[in-house]
Amino acid sequence: MTSPGTNRLAMGRFAPFAVLAFFALLPFWMTDQYFLHVLIITGIFIIAAISLNLLLGYTGQLSLGHVAFFGIGSYASALMSIGFDLNVFGWMLVVTPKPVWFCILCGIFVAGLAGWLIGKVSFKIRGAYFVIVTISFAEVMRLVALNWIDLTEGPMALNNIPPLTLWLPFAGETTFWSKVPNYFLVLSIAAICFEIVRRIVVSRVGRAVIALRENEPLAMSVGIDVTRYLLIITVISAAMAGAAGGLYSHYVRIIDPDVFLFIFTVTMVIMVVVGGKGTLWGPIVGGLLFGIMPEALREFAAPEVQWIIYGVAMIIVLIFLPQGIVPAVGSWLQSRRHGSEPPATPEPPGAKGAADPS
Amino acid sequence: MSQAPPRTVLEIDQLCVKFGGLVAISSMSFHVDHGEIVSLIGPNGAGKTTAFNAITGYLQPSSGEARFLDKSLNGLKPNQIAELGVVRTFQKTSLFGGNTAFENIMIALHRQGRQELFGSLLRLPNMHAEERRLRDRADEILEFFGIAARRDELASAMPYGEQRLLEVAIGLATEPEVLLLDEPASGMNPTETMSFVRMVERIREQDITILLVEHDMRMVMGVSDRVVVLNQGEIIASGPPSEIKHDPEVVRAYLGTSAPHA
Repeated sequence: MTSPGTNRLAMGRFAPFAVLAFFALLPFWMTDQYFLHVLIITGIFIIAAISLNLLLGYTGQLSLGHVAFFGIGSYASALMSIGFDLNVFGWMLVVTPKPVWFCILCGIFVAGLAGWLIGKVSFKIRGAYFVIVTISFAEVMRLVALNWIDLTEGPMALNNIPPLTLWLPFAGETTFWSKVPNYFLVLSIAAICFEIVRRIVVSRVGRAVIALRENEPLAMSVGIDVTRYLLIITVISAAMAGAAGGLYSHYVRIIDPDVFLFIFTVTMVIMVVVGGKGTLWGPIVGGLLFGIMPEALREFAAPEVQWIIYGVAMIIVLIFLPQGIVPAVGSWLQSRRHGSEPPATPEPPGAKGAADPS
Repeated sequence: MSQAPPRTVLEIDQLCVKFGGLVAISSMSFHVDHGEIVSLIGPNGAGKTTAFNAITGYLQPSSGEARFLDKSLNGLKPNQIAELGVVRTFQKTSLFGGNTAFENIMIALHRQGRQELFGSLLRLPNMHAEERRLRDRADEILEFFGIAARRDELASAMPYGEQRLLEVAIGLATEPEVLLLDEPASGMNPTETMSFVRMVERIREQDITILLVEHDMRMVMGVSDRVVVLNQGEIIASGPPSEIKHDPEVVRAYLGTSAPHA
C-alpha cells in the first residue's frame, strides 16, 4: 500500500523468491559454522523485527516493550518442553515435557494472548500511553522471570532446553542439533511471517490500520472500528514475536531473564526504523545490517569501538535517509527509471545517497 | 425508497453542548428530510462544526440528542454512526496523505467489503472477487469526481482543489444515507466552487441527503433547499434561501448590531 506505481509491484512479485532462493542456497557454499550461527540469530531477530514492523510501521503504534512478547514466547515454549510443576492455590499443576513443535505453538499462543491483554487495556487511549504500558509490561515480565524461581529458575536460567525434533519427509524423525537444519527452520518461519504481513497489508484489514496510522478521525468517519483492527494486528504481531522467542530458546537452549532486556526492544526498533518502517523489506534489510555488522566488525575493532561504529552508522543512516533505507532505495530506483522526470513520491532529503548502503 | 411524504432522516432534538461553563450550542433543534440539501450557516464561532461533531459522535452532547431514522445517535462511536449511514467530512483538509488517491478510496470502501483476517491470510477465492469489485468501484468514484488522472498520486501531493474533491469522494464512497459536508468549498476559487456546486447536485441525484456547513453564500443560496442559521449557539432563523436572505436577524448576525435595518 505504501508504494505507489505499478512497475514497483511487478518487481516486488519476483524479489521475495529471489531473496529466498539466495538464502536457501547459502548453507551449501557457506560452510563456516560460526557465520551460520550469526545468520540464525540474525534471522530470529528479523522475525521479531517483522512483527514489530507490523505494529509500528503499519498501525503507527510504537511498542517499546516488544521484547516482552519475545520473552514470553521463549519462556512458555521452553517450560513446556522441559516440563514443570506449579502450585496454584493448593492445586498441583504438573506439566510433563511435550514435543518441541507443540511447545513453540504454545509459546505463539501465549504471546498472542499477552498481546490481546495489552491491547485490550491500552488501546482505549493510544499513543504515548501505549508506549508506557508496553515498556512497563516488559519490565514487569523481566522481574517475574527473575523472581519466580520455582517456575523460571530465576537468574540460574532455564537450561537443557531440548532442540526441535520433527518428522521430515525423506529424513524421517530429525532432531535439530546442528546449525543447518536450524538455519532452514528460521528461514522458513521468517518467510512465512513475511508472507503473512504481505497478505495482511494489502487486505481490507491492512487498509483499515493504515487508515488509522494516516488519519484516525477520518478512518473512524468512514466506519472503521479502529480499536478492533488494532487489537487484531497486535495479537498477530505479539504471536509472531512469540514464535521468534520459541525459536530462540530451542536454538540457544538456555534462557534467562535477560531475554526481557530493554536493549533487545531497542535493537528491534533500530532494525525497523533504519530499514524503513511500514515497508515489507525494511525489517529484513535493517535486520541483516544490524545483525551482521557487529560480527563483521569484531575482527577489526575492539568492543567499545564496535559499539561506537554501530551507533554512528545508525545516526548517519537516519540523518541522510530519515525514512529508512528501503524507501530511499525505492524512490532512487523510481527516479532512475523515469530518467529526468521527478519522482512521484516526495524525496526525503539526501535520498541520492541511497545507492551507497545497498 | 418512499416517494410521497418527505421522510425525516436526521432529527436534531434540543441538542446542547457545553465546554465547562462555555455554552457552545444551546438547545438546537432542526431536521433534515430525505433527499434534501440543508445548509447550516452562521458567523465564525457560531457552533456549526461543534454541531457536526456532536451529531457524528466525535463529541458527546451535554443534553438533547441527534436521531437518525428515529434511532438515537447518543453514545455511539463515530465509526458506529458511519456504519448506520451518517458520514461526515472535515473542515480542515483531511485525507490519508501518505496514500494514493486510489488507495484513499479503497480505504473508504471499508463498509462495502466483508473480508476479515483469515480470509485475507488464506486468500480465499471470494476475497479476489471482492477486491476486484472494490477496485472497480474505486475507479468509478475517481471517475465521477473527475480526478481519475490523479489515481496513483499521493493524496498529499495533489492540488488543493482536487484534495477537497477527494475528501468528498471518500465520504461518498462509504455510500452514506446522509452526508455531512463541513465547509467543502473553503479555499476553492470561484470556478472550482461552481463545479463543486454541480457535483453536490449530482450527489443528491444518487438519493443521498446532504447537510452542509459553508461560508460561501453563493454556494449556499444556489444549492440549498433550506437554510438553518446559527448564531452564538442558537438557531436564529430557518427556511428557504430566498427568505433567509432578507431575514433581519440574519442580516444583523452577519453584519453586526449596528447594521441599519429599519
